[in-house]
Amino acid sequence: MSFVSVEKLQKSYAGSPVFDDIDCQIQRGEFVTLLGPSGCGKSTLLRCIAGLTPVDSGRILLDGHDLVPLSPQKRGIGMVFQSYALFPNMTVEQNVAFGLRMQKTPAEESRTRVREVLELVELGSFAGRYPHQLSGGQCQRVALARSLVTRPRLLLLDEPLSALDARIRKHLREQIRAIQRELGLTTIFVTHDQEEALTMSDRIFLMNQGRIVQSGDAETLYTAPVDLFAAGFIGNYNLLDADSASRLLQRPVSSRLAIRPESISLGLTGELDGQVRSHSLLGNVIRYRVEVREVELVVDVLNRSSEDLHADGQRVSLAIDPTALREVA
Amino acid sequence: MRAESRPGGWYHRAMVYLLFLILLLPLAGTLLYSLSTSWSASLLPSGLTFKWYVALWSEPRFLAAFGQSLLVCVGALLLSVVLILPLLFVVHYHFPRLDALMNILILLPFAVPPVVSSVGLLQLYGSGPMAMVGTPWILIGCYFTVALPFMYRAITNNLQAINLRDLMDAAQLLGASTWQAAFLVVLPNLRKGLMVALLLSFSFLFGEFVFANLLVGTRYETLQVYLNNMRNSSGHFNSALVISYFAFVLVLTWVANRLNKDKP
Repeated sequence: MSFVSVEKLQKSYAGSPVFDDIDCQIQRGEFVTLLGPSGCGKSTLLRCIAGLTPVDSGRILLDGHDLVPLSPQKRGIGMVFQSYALFPNMTVEQNVAFGLRMQKTPAEESRTRVREVLELVELGSFAGRYPHQLSGGQCQRVALARSLVTRPRLLLLDEPLSALDARIRKHLREQIRAIQRELGLTTIFVTHDQEEALTMSDRIFLMNQGRIVQSGDAETLYTAPVDLFAAGFIGNYNLLDADSASRLLQRPVSSRLAIRPESISLGLTGELDGQVRSHSLLGNVIRYRVEVREVELVVDVLNRSSEDLHADGQRVSLAIDPTALREVA
Repeated sequence: MRAESRPGGWYHRAMVYLLFLILLLPLAGTLLYSLSTSWSASLLPSGLTFKWYVALWSEPRFLAAFGQSLLVCVGALLLSVVLILPLLFVVHYHFPRLDALMNILILLPFAVPPVVSSVGLLQLYGSGPMAMVGTPWILIGCYFTVALPFMYRAITNNLQAINLRDLMDAAQLLGASTWQAAFLVVLPNLRKGLMVALLLSFSFLFGEFVFANLLVGTRYETLQVYLNNMRNSSGHFNSALVISYFAFVLVLTWVANRLNKDKP
């Protein structure tokens, strides 16, 4: 049986549903991500699990027990917020100890556990600082420590990295994942960033307009989007309508077609003739816009050497890997 | 800093100092007058003395008025803290939409001139079951409404700066009850806003005259009413009163700032 089980969960605000009949299962120790654009209901779902937002109907089972009738204090859930939500009037140590103080943990044990968890997030020497003396990344590590110290059964992360700059975000991403693995902690992570979702998760639930559109591991989501939304949200798929697809492949195609930009190769000899419209350098990848049979395709090519670079206006040949073509509804 | 490096920086600084001087001049004049033996036909006072202050601070009527002013102000501020803090908390945590309505409501004490509203208050509380005119109670109630805008705005700004909702949510998930979260997490972080609100309201109310004179008058003499009643006595004496009252508010503000300084 799964460790967390959300069954037929419904929630609406002022008559309009935020989500409808959500079902999802999470295994013990799993790191799952709720991925979707803003307003898709992912944060509301997380807040419902935490008990911060009441649900209209449905069940949320944690280890076999229904959480819905319980107040947030009694759920045994830790949560990290995008805004850090550190208590400004308390030091790092007092912030982290807050949960233990509420549980009336003996002072000696509390001190030991706070020290351990601060070591875990590599902030052992910052115990006496106040939140306003810390950087954003440090604040979020304190918030993580604070939610871990009470040994929650489930950890919820609500866009914890969104307020941080790119370099720190990457580092913290790895750190969170490493700690989660070390503690074997079942974790639900909410983000709108596909890269975060793909790199961190055991499993991803892709959400749109209050529904779970697709769930699966990163590989499945990336290579086999189930519909137009999934294809549009993850990766940089070329999405062609049936007419363009038919023209490009020179055979009748009845549905929309999704082609990953890196599954098209560019050379001087190939089956399709095209012309480079523009290109941009993304670092290790060069992204071309190539016109082929009146269809504009995005093509990603590994940036090996400057000699391979195709100038704008140059005629090129393309080869499309037939196994990479995906028809989407 | 930037002004110094620019040509003409001295001009800006001179203007600021000049303005400062102009604002300070009446106060300095009053101070000097309160310290002079007599000052009428000459450019400078004929002699300096503390006798007006000694006379003032040994005058029982002044001390009573001072104490009564203090009592009424502290009473009104206590009432507003006890009523407004929970109100603000509820508005911002549970019904954020009410904030717009509150912003209109809190402007009412400013919209109606004190002379006008005191006529209404006299009608309402002059007789009947709630006859309070002439007692300090009506002043406390009335001052509460005057303090409302100061309190509400300053604390609202503070509340918006601390991200109330996330702090409450975080505290509750860590096992705190709503009361514990409010007292241990929210309240300590409102100290700055509360201090500003209290000082602002206090300085304003301590110098309030219209309501005090119309609603209570000599039956419960406050500082400003006393000052008004003494207008025909010695100007030196009255100057000493004004300076004493000003110094009191100044020292209070300074002490409050000092107490607030080293905390985060």
